[in-house]
Amino acid sequence: MIVRAALLVLLTASSWSQETSAPQKVTPAPRASGPVASKASSFEQLSHAAERARNENRNDEAIHLYQQALELRPTWPEGLWYLSTLFYEKERFVEARDHLRRFLTVDPQTGPAWALLGMSEFQTREYTRSLDHLQRSMSLGLGDRKEMAQSVFYFVAVLRTRFELYTDSMNLLMAMVKSGQPTDLLIEPLGLAALRLPFLPAEIPADRRELVRLAGQAALAIEAQRQEDAEKLFMQMVTKYPDEPGVHFLYGAYLMDQRPDEGMREMKRELEISPSNVPARLRIAEQHIKEERPVEALQLAQQAIALEPTSSTARLILGESLIAAGDSAKGIAELEKARDAAPDRVRTHWDLLRAYTAAGRPEDAKREKEAIEKLNTQTSQP
Amino acid sequence: MGWLVKGHPMYISTMLVVSLLLALALTTQQPPPAKPRTFEEIAKQADAARTADHIQQAIELYTQGLRLRPSWAEGWWLLGSLLYDQDRFQEARAAFIRFTALTSKPGPAYAFLGLCEYETQDYDAALKHFRSWARAGWSGTPNLIDVAVFHFALLLTRDGKFLEALYLLATEEAKKGSSPALVEAMGLASLCMTNLPEDYPPERREMVWLVGEAAFYASLDPRDFARANEYAARLLSRFDREPNVHFFRGTLYNFEHKGEQAAAEFRKVIELFPDHAAAMVELARIDLTYDRPEEALSLAKRATELTPVDSEAHDVMGQALFARDRFLESVQELETAKRLAPDSSMIRVHLARTYGALGRKREAQEEIAAVKLLKDKEQILAPLEEKTRVRAQHEPTKRQ
Repeated sequence: MIVRAALLVLLTASSWSQETSAPQKVTPAPRASGPVASKASSFEQLSHAAERARNENRNDEAIHLYQQALELRPTWPEGLWYLSTLFYEKERFVEARDHLRRFLTVDPQTGPAWALLGMSEFQTREYTRSLDHLQRSMSLGLGDRKEMAQSVFYFVAVLRTRFELYTDSMNLLMAMVKSGQPTDLLIEPLGLAALRLPFLPAEIPADRRELVRLAGQAALAIEAQRQEDAEKLFMQMVTKYPDEPGVHFLYGAYLMDQRPDEGMREMKRELEISPSNVPARLRIAEQHIKEERPVEALQLAQQAIALEPTSSTARLILGESLIAAGDSAKGIAELEKARDAAPDRVRTHWDLLRAYTAAGRPEDAKREKEAIEKLNTQTSQP
Repeated sequence: MGWLVKGHPMYISTMLVVSLLLALALTTQQPPPAKPRTFEEIAKQADAARTADHIQQAIELYTQGLRLRPSWAEGWWLLGSLLYDQDRFQEARAAFIRFTALTSKPGPAYAFLGLCEYETQDYDAALKHFRSWARAGWSGTPNLIDVAVFHFALLLTRDGKFLEALYLLATEEAKKGSSPALVEAMGLASLCMTNLPEDYPPERREMVWLVGEAAFYASLDPRDFARANEYAARLLSRFDREPNVHFFRGTLYNFEHKGEQAAAEFRKVIELFPDHAAAMVELARIDLTYDRPEEALSLAKRATELTPVDSEAHDVMGQALFARDRFLESVQELETAKRLAPDSSMIRVHLARTYGALGRKREAQEEIAAVKLLKDKEQILAPLEEKTRVRAQHEPTKRQ
């Protein structure tokens, strides 16, 4: 496609001078003499001709004209923007990216430009920058460009998975499902995030695509509360891929809400396959807390911390385990660390609210309550 | 490049959106600065615009100032930095080139040049500038050092200098801990793939990730072999027919001082790829450790035939001959190795020992003296903490 686009440019180049001579004929030459005046009029002519060519879908010609106009006025925002979009349409992503960067120096508050830049960088496989810029576009907003927003969310979700931000990815994907987006495209991203595989959909190994799709379909079935379908899909997964890391964890996480005993069995099987699996340890620890077995919970939470010292979730479960075991001072200390590491997690604030209240620290409890209310307000906003 | 989302309906519809709807309500540009007359006025306005975060205006003003005074080193530095921050690497590179020509302390500018050239895919020039940066003392802010070291390592991998790359990546690991990008870079280097993260085939992603994770845990201080082996086992279960996967597994066993298990992996490599000279060298080394000089000699001989310009093959052959008391032949091999890798202190050590065995004391002493010098030279890749003087901020030269 890129080659085709380049050929088109080359082919149109020969006829370009003839075509662009037309506007020059109908537009009277400016009377003012001297280089400044002629440069200005030339810019005006070129920019109008570029706009006309673009509006008439003569895109290769429009590209040439915008490039020429930008040579005269390098920071012309409209020119940079339309040239970028034309390059993007032609899948000339490197050129689109470079012009968008110039555009964003001039106008850094434009959400759609960050979006287009992030999508261009996705195509050039600059994934760190791409995720950063796409997320920036989300925070700046994309106006009423619904389809563009859908694309941005999609790219952000798959990149978050590749950067091992599985929970963030899953949250975004589920929000996309809930907003009524077609689910076909979301099956593989959901499956990858659910199985905690840091791949893009295009990077799924051929012999694991079926597994990923099963996991994605199961996640969708759970979301739609089609429990029977979910159960069938999970059974297919564990039957066909009994030794694959992630499979028993996923099934176990589902069963924990339905049949905790079976859920625990699956989690333990996961730990046999992946002895250093932290999420499986934490889910088992959570279940131990529910069943009032704090000693067992504490042991697993400590193991999780040893494996992933920076995990805020592990800190949270350790804090909960300590409080369940009756050590509220240490428990509060761990919960505070968990809160500081992930201040947006409501559950930690609830835990602390209860712990502070029990410990007779009403001021601290009040602060946590306020934090919960603030977070709830934020999440209730679109 | 469009392979990633080909056929993605949302993506295709976005194209339409782009072409039909994306007429932006462009925000008002920053007002153009009043045109000052003197260089001093322009420089002052440029600094003010930069400080006020009016980036485009600052870029324009520095450019104007530099047109009036091309010898303004600080101007080139600040212009380059502004452009670099905007990811405008081609333009930033041009500014840094001008800066390096004007300053007596180009250290951090070399790092920026390397980074700019990496981004503009001028990889050979980038590697050259990173090496210049290293020779100049790895200077720069902590953030610059981290980014530059990481990209230097990526380019060393691309250049086939896998051990050097892993060494640098390990220093980053020690400082910053794990990150997906670091794991990916370690995976590529550990698999001896001369690729960058941006250009390796997507179907190898799983392998690169698993190897990277295993390498990461094996490089930790203290080493976490339990987790490294967990990933390695998963790797082997998925890629049992890949010679370089077994080579990596053998290397991991070597790290754990599990010589026989390592040897089994290197044999597997040779079984899958009979001409794998690097596996022969590793296997020969293990045979020497286990006092099996004949086996070592046979493997080393074959390795030197396959890769006559590989210094390590000649080195291990020299050692195998030494172990069989064939000192004269050993010297020949080690001298060949020295010729191929004059900067390797280990080869000099082996050579000194063999000269000593032959009673050639003066030559032995010369080699020992060379080892000392080379050790100093090798400090170019010594742990960064030892030799980087982390500066709060690079101090540009004064206005001229």
